[in-house]
Amino acid sequence: MNPAKFFQRLLQLAPVLLGVSFIAFMMLAMTPGDPVALIIGEHAATPEQIETLRRDLGLNQPLLQRFASFLADAVTGNFGTSFYHRRPVAEVIGERLPATIELSLVALIVALVTSIPLGVLAAIRKNTIFDRIATLFSLVGVSMPGFWLGILLIMIFAVNLQLFPVAGRIGFSHEVDPITGFMLIDTLLHRNFAAFGETLRYIALPAVTLGLPMAAILMRVTRTSMLEVLQQDYVTFANAKGLKPRRIFFRHALKNALIPTVSVAAIETGSLLGGNMIVETIFGWPGLGRLVVESIFVRNYPLVQAAVLLYAVTYVLLNFIADILYTLLNPRVKL
Amino acid sequence: MTVIASSTAGAPGLPIWRQNLRVFCANKSALFASAVVVLFVAMAIIAPIIAPHDPNDTDLFRRLQPPVWKEGGDWAYILGCDALGRDILSRLIYGSRISIFIGAAVVLFATVIGILAGLAAGYLRGWVDVVISRIVDILLGFPYLIFAIGLMAMMGPGLVNIVLALVYKEWVIPCRVVRGETLAAREQEYVEAARAVGASSGHIMLREILPNILSAVTVISTVRMANVIIMEASLSFLGLGVQPPTASWGEMVAGGREFIMEAWWVSTFPGLAILALVLAINVASQGLRDAFDPRFAE
Amino acid sequence: MGTFKHLMLASMIALGSAISPTFAQDLIIGFSKEGETLDPANHRNRETETLLRNVYEGLLTRDASMKLVPEIAESYEQVSPTIYDFRIRKGIRFHDGSDLTAEDVRFTFERILKEGAMGDGQTSPRQGLLGPVTGVELVDANTVRFNLSEPWPILPAMLPNQQIVSKAFVEKNGTAGMATQAMGSGPFSLGEWRRGEALILNRFDDYFGGSPEVPPVGRACVDRAIFRTIPETASRVAALLSGDVHIINELPNSSIRQIQASGVADVVEVNGTRSFFLAMNMQGEIFDDIRVRQAAAHAVNKDLLIDKILGGSAARIEGILSPDAFGASELPQVGYDVEKARALLAEAGYPDGIDITLDAEGAYRDMAEAIASMLTRAGFRTSVAISETTMLTQKWRTAGGPKSGDMWLSSWGNGSLDPFDIFAPTHATNDRGNSAGYSNPELDKLLAAAAIEMDAGKRAEMYHRAEMTIVADQPYVYLWVPRDIYGVSKRVEGFHPSADSRILLHDVCLK
Repeated sequence: MNPAKFFQRLLQLAPVLLGVSFIAFMMLAMTPGDPVALIIGEHAATPEQIETLRRDLGLNQPLLQRFASFLADAVTGNFGTSFYHRRPVAEVIGERLPATIELSLVALIVALVTSIPLGVLAAIRKNTIFDRIATLFSLVGVSMPGFWLGILLIMIFAVNLQLFPVAGRIGFSHEVDPITGFMLIDTLLHRNFAAFGETLRYIALPAVTLGLPMAAILMRVTRTSMLEVLQQDYVTFANAKGLKPRRIFFRHALKNALIPTVSVAAIETGSLLGGNMIVETIFGWPGLGRLVVESIFVRNYPLVQAAVLLYAVTYVLLNFIADILYTLLNPRVKL
Repeated sequence: MTVIASSTAGAPGLPIWRQNLRVFCANKSALFASAVVVLFVAMAIIAPIIAPHDPNDTDLFRRLQPPVWKEGGDWAYILGCDALGRDILSRLIYGSRISIFIGAAVVLFATVIGILAGLAAGYLRGWVDVVISRIVDILLGFPYLIFAIGLMAMMGPGLVNIVLALVYKEWVIPCRVVRGETLAAREQEYVEAARAVGASSGHIMLREILPNILSAVTVISTVRMANVIIMEASLSFLGLGVQPPTASWGEMVAGGREFIMEAWWVSTFPGLAILALVLAINVASQGLRDAFDPRFAE
Repeated sequence: MGTFKHLMLASMIALGSAISPTFAQDLIIGFSKEGETLDPANHRNRETETLLRNVYEGLLTRDASMKLVPEIAESYEQVSPTIYDFRIRKGIRFHDGSDLTAEDVRFTFERILKEGAMGDGQTSPRQGLLGPVTGVELVDANTVRFNLSEPWPILPAMLPNQQIVSKAFVEKNGTAGMATQAMGSGPFSLGEWRRGEALILNRFDDYFGGSPEVPPVGRACVDRAIFRTIPETASRVAALLSGDVHIINELPNSSIRQIQASGVADVVEVNGTRSFFLAMNMQGEIFDDIRVRQAAAHAVNKDLLIDKILGGSAARIEGILSPDAFGASELPQVGYDVEKARALLAEAGYPDGIDITLDAEGAYRDMAEAIASMLTRAGFRTSVAISETTMLTQKWRTAGGPKSGDMWLSSWGNGSLDPFDIFAPTHATNDRGNSAGYSNPELDKLLAAAAIEMDAGKRAEMYHRAEMTIVADQPYVYLWVPRDIYGVSKRVEGFHPSADSRILLHDVCLK
């Protein structure tokens, strides 16, 4: 991709982000419920006290002025103060982001590691019993409501078998000073392998719950594209030349078959990042999704506003990455 | 190339849709799945006839009564009772109405809007395309569930509001497909021919292009229906479901999860019902895709 | 490759041992919410307060029976209806080893009371919790005086909710720093705050011991107390049963039997302070008739609802006050009687029944549906409408403004257990919590007089008269005060929950 194209893509980003921010702002403004009344609750408050609180939260300005100052501040990296945490929104979100990203990436790895071999094998052994079972697995995977799966996994693996913990990122016998914020990486950087193992145990159930539907989708994609590739001329030709099947498979077929898988995976990662609030709630995972949903319910406008913007940026970037991956893997496509 | 493969599968001389139907009918699992979907729809329609009890009849003395095969269960309440002593089987039967209604209504509205917007954007191009594509881009920037939660908070809970909250974003998916297909169709001979004889844009879009891309859209829509049913369950989990006393599967699973250890049947049966319906829709739609949209066939 | 193998081996070992080595004395609490901040003056959140009260302490606290007892204060006296003096206990240390002085107490309250005292022009959101307190001053080196603009009998009752901070520490770190750091005088000091995940507290060995009236006095038993955030109820119960955590809060009533049968944990209950009731819109056409309100009261089988849905863990009420509250008295019961309800309804002009809507929050969905079906049997054909709390308060707590709606399954908290902050707010004309739109000038006068009555006996008698008035007028169907339920592992000893939602871990030991 040449630099000109690159900047053109970047420019397209601006109206999308502006639109997303505006819609989010208007939705919040039109949602009934007053954060000030929520904070005061059942306690008595004089009109002066209410006014003070309203001013402190920045709610005393007219609507459009609030949006304008949100935009002006956002450009400088200031997203306002969370009504309830009473700290900068950027800080609060920043604390939660690593947990969400880590969970999504591990879920992605779970999905890739299960879906690619299954999909490839299902394609090679098309219409065998293996193919049918793999297909059934993938269909069950996309048909299962995530929260139900999560609770079932907890009942089986945490309560009955006691193999995995119910909630959290790591136990309390390990102290891991954050370096990157990603527990799996930090434990390795500290060469604390016991803590690394424990982190794996904590992330296992939520990652499987989150990764299963994605594994199902990716398996379908892999199987389909593998079938297509296997019918391509060059594979038939290589076969005819008498090349070893293994060699044909790894050198030629697999690489090409994975192109759609990888680009679908990149795009689906966006929905993992934005769709994990239920898994985070069930497994007590200290991520962003849970925080955003709670913030909607308590009308924590600045936090919701900033998070939505972050999701939009992530979405655009992931599409971008998907495009780049597509080009890298498949040089015939030019962006 | 796969197109050729699929058309040879049907007998020559028959109209294409008949050939496709043959392919579909040859796919036993898809056929079985379609039968299951039809069964669920039938169940939804005749719910008042087959439900053994009034689904909203509460009796606290039957609270969390176990299914018939467990100690304390009885034949009157085969699958047991929920926290208010309501018959789970009857609620399951009535609940199929909600899941199917929401799935069908959302997908129907979204598909119609998506087709119109996609046709307009793809065929008319110019500023129409720019505006529609921008809106699509913006909506895609929102995570689906968060967008729906925000809308539900704005509008309040309820059946109609769930449908609206989901349609607002769902239409983007068929729209993108239709726009792409229309862009391709625009350059095809049959469209150019229609334009040459002076057909209006409306006529070309609806009469010439639409029939040719309809199968692709239908295939996408059925898959999306499965997704929408799960979305409804997720909204119920978050407390943004239908209003009581309406029985909805999502609401039943969500409400019963508190009792999952003491009374697993309260949330397990509706969970299985969601799984069964969604699975059937997915299998059937895959069969449809293989038969009607051969570009994706295997 | 070697490192990789080593790493795999290590993780295999860790994975293999299902129960990882922990400190012998880590007490872990599965808690439904996370703390919003660590600054005791910068939030209005009950759960945040629960967490912080193990790190910080108040002038006064409560024992397990909700009696007010001195904590950081040694004693206090009411000098006049608007002046209170508190003597500060000597020998209390902050976690950094410095002494807690009367100046720290004065500073703490000034930070809450004064406009803009939080810095950046911000005022503490807790200002309103101190009602008519106008200022706090030092009388001598060990005495702090509270000045009020008007009599406010619940001042002592409100003080356990305000935690004393160190002036030096606040001045050093600023309000921004206080949000993530904590340094109090409580039994535990801050170890680590894993945002959204856990709050790890270490035992403070120089702890002064806590209120002498809440034995045992001395430093805490466990080495660390850890609050693990688990918002999902089913998961929290699972974590208790699997042994991941030792205590959980907000145990659902439906899990009581399950926990008791599990053999690994027990259920511990404490009387709550929140009164539940059905508000009937007396400004509307239906419920302005006393007979219709009485019909509704007779239609609801409170005992059955308490027994079946609340698992028996609630105290039935006939008036607004909890049986534990000051001034609570024996009241005539409105019995469950469907026939009487129907008759009253017919008498009021609705022989064929009437359609009404019952508003409720999502959390009370089951309860609202059960109540609705009871009302329906008595002739009120009731449909339930679920909304968010914030919408319902906007709709119903209009403080005299016009309101729509028929009936609301609602509640009002009474953390002080003094009638002052529950009776008038819900029953005085146009008051902030008067969701029924009830107005009785006689009662208004009585409540105003009771609020400033200094003689406890006379005051209790006045509240009894007030209760009799509302039983006669029936603006609400008074339901119950649910107990707070905790699940507690059998390994835990000495855990006594408190009705004001404090989870005091100072006395708790692990077997």
